[in-house]
Amino acid sequence: MLKRMTRLVSGAQQLDPGRFLHGEPQAPQSLAAHLDNQVPDESPRATSCTSEADPVRTFNEACLMVRKPALELLRYLKNTNFAHPAVRYVLYGETGTGKTLSLCHVIHFCAKQDWLILHIPDAHLWVKNCRGLLQSAYNKQRFDQPVEASSWLKNFKTANERFLSQIKVQEKYVWNKRESTEKGRPLGEVVEQGLTRVKNATDAVGIVLKELKSQSGSGAFRLLVAVDGVNALWGRTTLKREDKSPMAPEELALVRGVRKMVRNDWHGGAIVLTLSQTGSLFKPRKAYLPQELLGKEGFDALDPFIPILVSNYSPEEFESCIQYYLENSWLQHEKAQTEEGKKELLFLSNANPGQLERLCAYL
Amino acid sequence: MAAAALPACLALQPGARTLRAFCTSVSLATRSAIARPRTADRTSRYERPLRRKALPPRTEKMSVDQDWPSVYPVAAPFKPSAVPLPIRMGYPVKRGVPMAKEGNLELLKIPNFLHLTPVAIKKHCEALKDFCTEWPAALDSDEKCERHFPIEIDTTDYVSAGPSIRNPKARVVTLRVKLSSLNLDDHAKKKLIKLVGERYCKTTDVLTIRTDRCPLKRQNYDYAMYLLTVLYHESWKTEEWEKDKTEADMEEYVWNNSSSEKNILETLLQMKAAEKNLEVNKEELLATKEVEEYKKSVVSLKNEGDNENTLSQYKESVKKLLNLM
Repeated sequence: MLKRMTRLVSGAQQLDPGRFLHGEPQAPQSLAAHLDNQVPDESPRATSCTSEADPVRTFNEACLMVRKPALELLRYLKNTNFAHPAVRYVLYGETGTGKTLSLCHVIHFCAKQDWLILHIPDAHLWVKNCRGLLQSAYNKQRFDQPVEASSWLKNFKTANERFLSQIKVQEKYVWNKRESTEKGRPLGEVVEQGLTRVKNATDAVGIVLKELKSQSGSGAFRLLVAVDGVNALWGRTTLKREDKSPMAPEELALVRGVRKMVRNDWHGGAIVLTLSQTGSLFKPRKAYLPQELLGKEGFDALDPFIPILVSNYSPEEFESCIQYYLENSWLQHEKAQTEEGKKELLFLSNANPGQLERLCAYL
Repeated sequence: MAAAALPACLALQPGARTLRAFCTSVSLATRSAIARPRTADRTSRYERPLRRKALPPRTEKMSVDQDWPSVYPVAAPFKPSAVPLPIRMGYPVKRGVPMAKEGNLELLKIPNFLHLTPVAIKKHCEALKDFCTEWPAALDSDEKCERHFPIEIDTTDYVSAGPSIRNPKARVVTLRVKLSSLNLDDHAKKKLIKLVGERYCKTTDVLTIRTDRCPLKRQNYDYAMYLLTVLYHESWKTEEWEKDKTEADMEEYVWNNSSSEKNILETLLQMKAAEKNLEVNKEELLATKEVEEYKKSVVSLKNEGDNENTLSQYKESVKKLLNLM
């Protein structure tokens, strides 16, 4: 998922929009023109699969299906009042229904509109299986994660190259005895510092978040905070301290930084979040409702938010998905084109996008 | 045979052998004269008693309109000769049928209620009517019974055939009462429910107290009434340490002073500040219709959990609050 995300985001910035999304050349304009284009029957749409087969290379394109939840979100985003505090939107739904891809769609839209994208592909990766935990130099009780922080900084840099030279830091930051960043230097320097000195990567991330938050209100840019799997921030971690006692998420500096970003005490942007059970720790497999996954703490922290349900395919969406697979010759089975075959696939996958994709991989 | 037996007898009893020998020889001779033709059977020294022929079962003599309670007046094992029904029971062998009732152990093992046919029960009721009193005419509905007699006591008496009439299980007393019939205010009810713990059922609003710690039923009944009295009075009192009740102790979600209220207040204040509208104060903000709706939706979400209804309500109320239509 991380690989896919960077390709999409970097693609949005570097390639020409017309060339990038093969199947969706008119979609952004059509979205801009027809706000209430709810049923995407006429716009050219295609599906995307999040499988290991990496269909971006297979199909030479990365296509998203335009679906209702994403359209709803885009409508809200278009009507945001940037003077008001940032509104939080939470995408929730059962596993495999397309929450992450709806998030990607929204990110792509905002990237086209020249927003600054702060995207965390999977917050669960920051609370489990982290090697190299360091005690934070900034605050003795917190812990740094140099590996995760530096990889995130790399992605952030590729996604938002333009802004890094425009935004200036507003304070002086001293890294160690010899290095410091003066007030007024571009933010890109902070990011470079974090990338070169991996030990300071977490602090660099914290500084970036703080600066962006304080400056987003000035109106120079619009900030989109997109976190996938936000329920990881308020759950439990599998990380342990040296004395084998479990660590709470609050003790991780990265988690604290993101929690601050997700609060709505800043304005000039929007916050789009996804709940995810896959990858979550200590949550039952069938849990998908907001309160179940966020817990009491998470819900109180995110309240008030707009919950948006992402459900399985509707019949039209299912048809279009099958059509896309057939057009690209993904389905090789001879019965796949028949009505019977389609009904069988519908029954087996229960119109769940993830399940359908896994089934079609064998055909 | 007689000749062979004679010297044996003589050998065994040398005392009065002549007389005995004579007697035995005579008796042996007479017996052998009327001996049965099966002489090859050496083990049957004495006559086997003559076997009677089996009589026909009683069922053949039963009429259709007989008095059944007199056939089975008490609980008795299944007697195939006394029950005129063609019952079969058992696991059949391959290509066979279950075993018939004659000599069927399965039918003996199971309990039967042949002594409790409707006719028999009717007779029992007629006999018991002399000992019963009339139901009071004024109590003709359940609500009236509950209103006038809110406390229900359950006791069990045991009768068994044996040397002693005592049964230790008879001392158990169960007291059931609905909390709505007790005079409790909000704090008292919550405190009572916390005190009794598992003995309260939320769906039926019934408190059940089961006592068996005293040896006599009468003592257990007194103890149960005493427990009810103590619970009632204690729940009305407020102790000093009850002030320290935290949010985690609360039984249901309370909106006032909750983090949700603070959040929404901050958000609204910031929104108003952005619009340069600084004259509003907190009470006014909280009293608007949108905030009321939001409060209701959050309370229902927290108390009832997530479902489509509550979530969509919450979504609508937040959209209205944040002017996001």
